[in-house]
Amino acid sequence: MNTFLRKNLVLTITLSVIVGLFAAAAQGMESKDFVITLLRGLSVGSLTFLVASGFSLIFGLLDVLNLAHGTLFMIGAYIGWTVFVRPDTFVDLLTPFILTVSGFALRDVYPLLSDRIRLGLRMRRILPWALILVSVILFSVILPRYPISIWSVENYGQSPVTFAFMADQATRLPTVNAAFEEIAAPLALGGLLLASLIGAFGISLLGQTVQSASRISWKNLVGFILLLIVAGLTFIFNESLTGFLLGINSNWLFLISVLVAVACGVGLGALMEATLIRPLYSRPIYQLMLTLGMSAIGIEMVRAVWGRPEFVMPKPALFNGSGDSCPAVTFADWWNHHCSTILLLDGRVRIYNEIFIPIIGLIVLISIWILLQRTRLGMIIRAGVQDREMVEALGINVQRVFTMVFALGVGLAALGGALAAPSMGLSNGMGESLFLNALIALAIGGLTNYPGAALGSVLVGLIQQFIIKYGQIGIAIPFTDIVFKPTPPLVPASTVLMMVIILLILPNGLLGKKE
Amino acid sequence: MEHILEVQNIHTFIGQYHILQGVDVRVPKGSITALLGRNGAGKTTTLKSILGLTPPREGKVIFEGREVRGMKSFDIAAQGIGFVPEHRAIFRDLTVEENLKIAERVKGEYLRKRDFIFNLFPDLSRLIALSGASLSGGQQQMLAIARALVADNRLLLIDEPSEGLAPVIIEHMMAAIRQLSQDSTVVLVEQNFLVASQLAENYVIIEEGHSVKAGAMKDLVNDKATIHRYLGAA
Amino acid sequence: MTTKPSSRLAAFFANQRGALIALLLLALLPFIVGLFDGASLAAVWVNGSGQSKFIQGLAIEIIILSIYALSFDVIFGITGMLSFGHSMFFAVGAYLTGISIKSFELGLPATLGIVFAAAIVQALLFGVVLPRVKGITFALVTLGIASVFHIVVMSSELGKYTGADVGLQGMVVPAFISPANERLRFYFIALTILALVYLLYKRFVDSPTGRVCIAIRENEGRARMLGYNTFYFKLAALTLSSFTAALAGMMHALYQPIVSPNVAGMGFTVTALLIVLIGGVGSLEGALVGALVYRLLDFGLRRYIGESASFINGAIYVVFVLFVPYGIVGTWRLKSFQIKQGWARMTGWLTGKPSSEDSAR
Repeated sequence: MNTFLRKNLVLTITLSVIVGLFAAAAQGMESKDFVITLLRGLSVGSLTFLVASGFSLIFGLLDVLNLAHGTLFMIGAYIGWTVFVRPDTFVDLLTPFILTVSGFALRDVYPLLSDRIRLGLRMRRILPWALILVSVILFSVILPRYPISIWSVENYGQSPVTFAFMADQATRLPTVNAAFEEIAAPLALGGLLLASLIGAFGISLLGQTVQSASRISWKNLVGFILLLIVAGLTFIFNESLTGFLLGINSNWLFLISVLVAVACGVGLGALMEATLIRPLYSRPIYQLMLTLGMSAIGIEMVRAVWGRPEFVMPKPALFNGSGDSCPAVTFADWWNHHCSTILLLDGRVRIYNEIFIPIIGLIVLISIWILLQRTRLGMIIRAGVQDREMVEALGINVQRVFTMVFALGVGLAALGGALAAPSMGLSNGMGESLFLNALIALAIGGLTNYPGAALGSVLVGLIQQFIIKYGQIGIAIPFTDIVFKPTPPLVPASTVLMMVIILLILPNGLLGKKE
Repeated sequence: MEHILEVQNIHTFIGQYHILQGVDVRVPKGSITALLGRNGAGKTTTLKSILGLTPPREGKVIFEGREVRGMKSFDIAAQGIGFVPEHRAIFRDLTVEENLKIAERVKGEYLRKRDFIFNLFPDLSRLIALSGASLSGGQQQMLAIARALVADNRLLLIDEPSEGLAPVIIEHMMAAIRQLSQDSTVVLVEQNFLVASQLAENYVIIEEGHSVKAGAMKDLVNDKATIHRYLGAA
Repeated sequence: MTTKPSSRLAAFFANQRGALIALLLLALLPFIVGLFDGASLAAVWVNGSGQSKFIQGLAIEIIILSIYALSFDVIFGITGMLSFGHSMFFAVGAYLTGISIKSFELGLPATLGIVFAAAIVQALLFGVVLPRVKGITFALVTLGIASVFHIVVMSSELGKYTGADVGLQGMVVPAFISPANERLRFYFIALTILALVYLLYKRFVDSPTGRVCIAIRENEGRARMLGYNTFYFKLAALTLSSFTAALAGMMHALYQPIVSPNVAGMGFTVTALLIVLIGGVGSLEGALVGALVYRLLDFGLRRYIGESASFINGAIYVVFVLFVPYGIVGTWRLKSFQIKQGWARMTGWLTGKPSSEDSAR
């Protein structure tokens, strides 16, 4: 213990100064304010952690600074909102989406096919691009004509803002079911499948190396057929599925929307890694440019689809109750009445924002910790952070682990986004501010250190919330009558200042390893 | 004689540098073959090229009768090749047991091989819960070799096993390598000619990216001229 | 080896033929555009409104961006330090120029003095953290310092001087370089400054100091092992960069003459990064080419596409990274042989003569 203290003297002093500061902060306010501020800090910290942990996993293993991580967080929020507020749109999108993906399920078949076709060198170079072009043209002809009942950004009465407002009032705007008008149904479905097959073939030709796969695994074909069946079922039962989603309890719908957001995040992450990041491992600097570009694209796409104005997402019923018996006094009380707030030390605490989100954050923290420490995948990740080449030399497909970790990281960001939507609201800028938070948190905690990410996130959240609170009540400066009120711009400045100070004392962050 | 590994005229580039400019290595099954040569001659690159970690642009690498050049590294390793890199590159953040477990290619391999490994390196059995970083240099080297033994490897590529170790530990290491060469074939890169000459049965000398001489070790030991010319005054 | 200064000069000009031709073309640009536009050269000379004046304006913006990008390249591309706070270097120059001219009514020489003094101070400020942090942590610390500056500039307490979030406005630029009435003169001054800065940078890169900076980029540990105190070299690069960026900021403030707080934000650092990446990291020509491409792309897209310009912009960056792997200049150098061959084949095909490669087959 003694040697531990001596080795980590600077860390110990820094941590005790931080704890001391919080103790001092507690002196300046009433205990109910303190509890609320603490919980708010934990809530912001949890959301920051969801972004920061994914970013840090990706950076640690792949050495990729994914500057699009904040944008992916935002996309997660918007997807969650869509499923929650407009389940009919979600259901309409299912069939074309599955058909688009299905081509890629046959990836083992394409090498066999391309072995059969003997081509000249020049044709071999042109063919993939030609196929991809054909596929893109097919998609762009069919998709705009595919009937999807969706909001309209231009028309205020049908805009996401209106839908969000009505949903917040617990009513739904009547929506019109879209029908096949501009294109015949069989033509649209068949065309999408064909475009997907052609596109996937083209992409597989593009990435093909000298060697070729020798056999088709049956899982591949079964997966493809299963996807087709699911696409067919969602097509046939479109309306009853929509009805079902509209009919169920909003808690379940919220759960589904979070899961869909996470699934989209995971898929998007895997796709990004496999197509865009992978060619750039040898040119790390250009990854910055790529991810910046991705970030710009993502923000613009969100603007094009969901519009620029901010809007809200209603909380699920479990956290949205009000009435005579609210605010709840105990948690049992809350469970019975589904109150949105609870009284803690006479202070009103919002259950979703200040209790539910930190709990989810804690659950994610622990499950990722278990994944890293107790599973073979985690073992490979930890080893790969240190020495990628050696892991590969053991006969482990590191590339696949890279893809998985990237997908996991993006999935975590999307989870954060979907959870943040009901508490933060949705805006085009929500990703950026949280991403800056996450970067600061990682710098404080140690860039690739997992517990460090958690510690840094919580510190960032707490400091921000305490500064905000003191902005309202003011700090009485000792021995004087002056009351200092921090202005709102000090909120980001305070965390940034803390980061600079901590990095100057401990260049690798609080828990980062020394080089 | 049956060759488990045949490297034919490989050319490897690192960046724009032409590191290997035609290296041939033939490794008879069940033998220990040493790659000799001066610093920077391309011995380590040869090992890495066999595994595809620095993929050769030309030439052939045939393992157990099968061309493996062009395969991904992990595929080549999974054919049954174990690699012990230089500088004792164990995973410092993993425990000793995890360092061994991670090398499994089939579930349960570690449990099956555990007795064999700890018989070879009794020290390791006491250390299984410690993290790799806390081991001494010799223990780390043993762990690195042990890690290559967990999976079912018919060929072991060992890079500089004696580098930076005390003479007593080198003795121990040599005994271990000799013992494990009874079950598998070993290709050894070794700067210390004394160690190499005692361990290996065959040798290949690599000089400036070319393999210049190969043969039986017992002939080389008496060939002072060759030793002087290619290996310095060893 | 000693050579006569005149022959050394001649050799230098021979080496810089491309740059000299570019400079000449740029100097003639306003008149050429004027000729195409149908305006008389006299009208161009007295700053008559027209296409030429507009093109001059765009060119001045590109020149300012080029100087700014050069100043980023010397620390990022040459010395290998990734700074996310570079916009501060620029913004300090811009804001100080605005404040000293508007609020303190100082003349240009005094302003220049203040800006350069501030440039030293901020280089030292960044230099303080140098020995402690490296790599991505350096990027984050510099981001931190710069965002504190951004917040200070935006704060309402200093609104009297900086104009807070509206930006610094209402500055009266000295009449003899007024960008509205004397734009041609402004253009030539800017062009001269760019040429001088480029020359200075060329000298720096070729100087022993610059060589050590490149060595630091390649492997700092090795540079230190060779006996260089890498801290001083990094500080030298930072100071040089700070000077030039502040100069670019000053030109920006004089040209616009509005200073928006955006130039202090992270986004403007990203602009520098993108320019350097587009042009090619570590080559001075790359920064110039990158600035040209970046500004024209941005301008063109905003003009012809409008709202969703940044979508296309982002898409272009992604495609760019995948297909022009080392920036324009870097990829050109890498492929110049292949490109020449391609041209030869194409011209051969046009003239009906087989190119050397085809006949070799």
